[in-house]
Parts: sequence; structure tokens; C-alpha cells
Amino acid sequence: MPKQFLLDLAPFNFLVTTDSSLVIKNLKQIYGDILKPTNSTTADYHVQILKSGGLRAFVRQQARFFSDQYEPFKPLSHKQAYAFLEWGMNYTVAANEMQHVIVHSAVLAKNDKAILFPAPPGSGKSTLTSFLAFNGWQLLSDEMSLIVPKTSTVMPFVRPICLKNDSIELAKSWFPTADFSTIACDTHKGDVIHLSPPSNSWKLRNKVVEIAGVVFPNYNKNKELEIYQLNKTQAFTQLAENSFNYGVIGNVGFQTLTSIIDKVDSFEIHYNDLKEVKLFLEEDIIK
Amino acid sequence: MNKLTSQLFIQLYKAPETALNLDLGQWNSLIFILRHHQLLARYQFIFQRAGIFERLPEYAKHHLTNAKILSHKQRQQVFHEAKSIIGAFGFNSKHKIFLKGAAYTLSGQTAGVGRIYSDIDILVDKQNLDEIERSLVVSGWLTEQITKYDDNYYRNWSHEIPPLRHGGRGTVLDIHHNIIPIISGRAPNVSYLFEQVEITWDGFSVLSPSAMTLHSLVHLFFNDDVKNGFRDLLDLDLLIKNNCSDYYWTNLIQLAKDTDFNMELKLAIRYLTKILQTPIPKNVLQELKLPSSPAIKIIDFIYLRVLLPSHPLVNNRMYNLANFMAMCRGHWLKMPMHILIYHFSLKGIRSAIEYFLGKTFFLEDDTNHKKF
Repeated sequence: MPKQFLLDLAPFNFLVTTDSSLVIKNLKQIYGDILKPTNSTTADYHVQILKSGGLRAFVRQQARFFSDQYEPFKPLSHKQAYAFLEWGMNYTVAANEMQHVIVHSAVLAKNDKAILFPAPPGSGKSTLTSFLAFNGWQLLSDEMSLIVPKTSTVMPFVRPICLKNDSIELAKSWFPTADFSTIACDTHKGDVIHLSPPSNSWKLRNKVVEIAGVVFPNYNKNKELEIYQLNKTQAFTQLAENSFNYGVIGNVGFQTLTSIIDKVDSFEIHYNDLKEVKLFLEEDIIK
Repeated sequence: MNKLTSQLFIQLYKAPETALNLDLGQWNSLIFILRHHQLLARYQFIFQRAGIFERLPEYAKHHLTNAKILSHKQRQQVFHEAKSIIGAFGFNSKHKIFLKGAAYTLSGQTAGVGRIYSDIDILVDKQNLDEIERSLVVSGWLTEQITKYDDNYYRNWSHEIPPLRHGGRGTVLDIHHNIIPIISGRAPNVSYLFEQVEITWDGFSVLSPSAMTLHSLVHLFFNDDVKNGFRDLLDLDLLIKNNCSDYYWTNLIQLAKDTDFNMELKLAIRYLTKILQTPIPKNVLQELKLPSSPAIKIIDFIYLRVLLPSHPLVNNRMYNLANFMAMCRGHWLKMPMHILIYHFSLKGIRSAIEYFLGKTFFLEDDTNHKKF
């Protein structure tokens, strides 16, 4: 029998249905007491991870993801079921939510000032995110920033940080007491793990934060810190390219992104030392 | 979560102000079910038109507004796509008639407001299909990878060619040369439809309201796939309410006779009146009444279920059985017996093999795929 939970991930609540004990174990590990019994409040979205039946129940078991009744992706190996659920939740938000400008970006804040880190996969964004989140910064999001239209504020959408390949061991050695999910091996992104951010980030998940800067990170193990300030056009183009729904929400999206770029400074950074990055962010942007 | 009755959806459609009495638990189920049927934007429009949208709970407004924003975007996109498709056709094919959802939007029918659709359908001259396909490829429309069997199915038996997807924009285009499969033996002479062409303000060809209605009801009652049955029934209701002239009805009745879809028209009238109490002129009702018979009881069993919302949160008893029967009926209508047996046994063996060896077993590797 599948079990149901309610995940209170302000600004959206998810009703989660699953018959996988692996998924339930990870949900408890990552979300703790945010995982609530159903019927405690309305749910915005229903997501399901179900084990495939028939012969597949015995041989190379698969997991299927449903956004309510709709199955947008092919099944994955059951070992990847939890990561599949997290990605499916991102998909569901990106496909339905049109009242925020959604940018593929991490968002972290310090002293009530937020920095957006828009970046494609492989740029070292999540490693940077976890480093900052566990060193005094507030995590608002690792994957998608929800910018409130016609303002320069961002709404938290706190979720676990998705770490890949080499950064898994690194993160485990840095934060030995943190809550990690089980490892999902051989996904399309390689091996991945989900890491629950510190409790402070969870506590602050209902409050919008003012954006103070935009930083496009590029990890390169052979490069010491290099910082380039971007002009408005470069910064806008890169930000728009990373937006999920900029095309759909049209003019509102354009106005919001341009006014943010107008208001705050944007940088591209190349680095191999996270401590130097942190120092730069704290001394030059947050101040 | 609260289970809802299918009657509630009809009530809200006909008397939207009753939405003010719903509690949050009911709204939660309602939003899930409407989203499942791609009806959020349509109900948003209905609540807005009734002047009660602003008084709904924040939770409901939030999700209905998301859908409204998406459907507005789609509406803009359809005009843009239609223009670029017509451009890509060049001088091929005399007829380029937009059908279904895209046509509702392009011609300003109420059925097009808040209508979400996943592809654009167009009806063309059969003898020009090859040139059309070639000229569309040049403009970036490509055939998706399908099995040889499916390709043959489309080319020899169907009423359309395999769907094309635009490489850049991702839009899917279905090119039809008839409105139902040729193999059914009941595909009408398309010249009846070509006589019904109207040109919209923006210069696009669509079918006349009568022919549009006929196509919509044929699509619903001569089909094996009824998963959007309720949405399609609402489309028909809106088309009829939008076009209630005498000419509309005489033209529709004559057209149904000419194309031999009298039965489908009678079924549509039967279920529109039974389920939605759609206003239909008395003489039309008289003329198109179906006498009761054992057969009609079975048909009632099917359509009084599959034309209502279906979702684990709606009470719709024996929906699955009715849906299965509708699928059987649809296949039976579409294919002669010997083809049907061949089709089912082949599809059956294939799904068994795919089950054991993987979904991609019958697809050619990318390396062997035809490059244009």
C-alpha cells in the first residue's frame, strides 16, 4: 500500500504518494518534521513515486514518477527513486508556476541580502551552495530562484542541495554531521546525493529577501580567483537564458529581470578556492 | 482528500456562482482534477465571466491564474505558429484548413478561450502530401522517430501522416488529409468539408461553425481515445451555444447526412442534453432523437461515464470498464475485423517484447536514423 505525506515547502505544499521504503527513508532523513501527515492543509501539487509492477517487481526494479496522474518521464532504476522524486518536484513547479520569474539558479543570503548564482550544471554551483549554507549563510534555494514579479526580492524555496560525483565525498568530509540522502548511482548526472541544509535555512523559508547581487560561478581547479564585473547587457542576457518561464510570462519577466540588473552589480567569477569566494561575497557584495 | 461528484463539475460549469460555497478541502480536489483534464484555464474563464473570480479563496485563485497565464501565452503562440506554418507550406496544397483547438482560437470561438492543446492540426489536399512534407522539413519540421510498423500504419491506413515536431520551437503539427482513418471505410469525401471553408479576420482558413462542430463530435464519438471526454463535451456545448442560428443547424444536419455521420450527431445531441442540458432547438431534437433499444443502453453505459471527469478523486463508478468498452468500440469502428486482429496481435506481441527487453527495442539506433 502506498503511503501519503504532506511536504510543507513554502510557498508550495506537495502531497507525496509513494510505495518505496527507500523514498520514505530519505524523505524522513532530509525533511525531518517538515514531513507532515496528510490533510493538515491544502496541497498545491501531488507527486508520486511508485515501483513498477509485473516482472519489474523482481528483476532490475524500476521507479515511476507521476505528477498527479501524468507520467512525464520514462522510469528510472529504483535505486535512483529519491533523486527522481526531487527532480520531478522541480519539473512540476517549473511546468505550472507562472507567478514568479523562475531562474535556474542557487540563491543564498547573509544579513538579509540575497545573491543569485545562476549557472548551468557542471559549474560547481551546488558545491558552492553547500559550502556557504554550512558556513553562516541562509540557503533560499539550490536549483530554482523564485523572483517576485516587479520587485527585486526573491522567495525562498528551500530544498535539499543536489551534489554530484566528486563533490559527494568532499561534502561528507566537510559536514560529517549533516543529513545526507542515500547515493543514487549512475544517473544522467552521474552519482548524486541530496544534502539537507542547516535548520536555520528551513526556519526562514517563509520570508522574502532583497536581492543584492548576481554572481555567475565557474569552478576551475587550475584557476585562482578571477572576478569580472559584467555590463548590464551581458548580465541580463545570461540571466534570461537561465530563466525557465521568461518566455511564457513575457513582459512581466522582462521588466523584473531588467530592473534587478539595473539595481545590483553582476559578476562572473572563476575560482578554485571556496574560502576566497566567500570572502569576496561578504566583503564586496554584502558589505 | 475529499472525493467529489462528477455532478459538481457540471454544476460549476452551468452555475459558476455556486463555487462560492465550496470549502478548501473541496477546492483542493477540484484543482487537482481540473488540472488533470487541462480545464483549469477554462474554469478560470467561467468564474471570471460570472464575476466571482476575485471572491474565490487565494488557493484557488493562485492555481487558476497560473493556468490563465499559460493559456494566454499559448493563444499568442498559436497565431504566430499558424502564420509560420502557412509560410512554410509555400504554394503547396490548395487547402490549408486549421482544425480543432487551434481553429477555435484562430476563429475566436468561445471554445478556444482557455483551451489548452498539445498540437496544431491542419487539413490539406491528399495529392500534395509529399511536397508538403518536403517543404516543411526545409523549415525545420521533422518526423519523430517511430517504428516501421507505425509509419506504415499512418501512411496506408490512417487519415494523417506521422506528426512533425519543430526542431527549434518544439511545436507538434498533425497533417490530416481526412478526418477519420481511411481503413475504417467510412472516411467521408473531403470535398464536403472543403466546401465549408471560412476565412478568419487574420486570413487563416478554418471550417464553418457547423463543420467545426461536426468534426468535434466525430472526433469524440468515432474514436478509441476518450480520456478528454468531458473537455470535448464542453467544447461541443460551447460551439453550439456560440452558433445558434437556424442556418447553423440545417447546415450541420445536412453535412452529417452527406458525410454519413448521422449516428455520431445523434449521439452527440443525446449526451449533450442528458449531461449538460445544452439548449437545442425542438425540431432538431425531434429529428435527431434516438429510439431506445438494447444497443443504446450499452452505449449509454459507456458514454454516461467516459464523458464525465475521471480521476481517483471523482466518484465515477465503473469508469474503467466503460473506458475499455469505448476503446473497443472505437477500434471496431476504425478497422475491419481482419485488420483489427492483425493490429492487435502485432501490438500485443510488441508490448510483450518491450516489456521484457525495453521500450526502445523496436526503435532504430540514432546512427541508422535517416538524416535529412
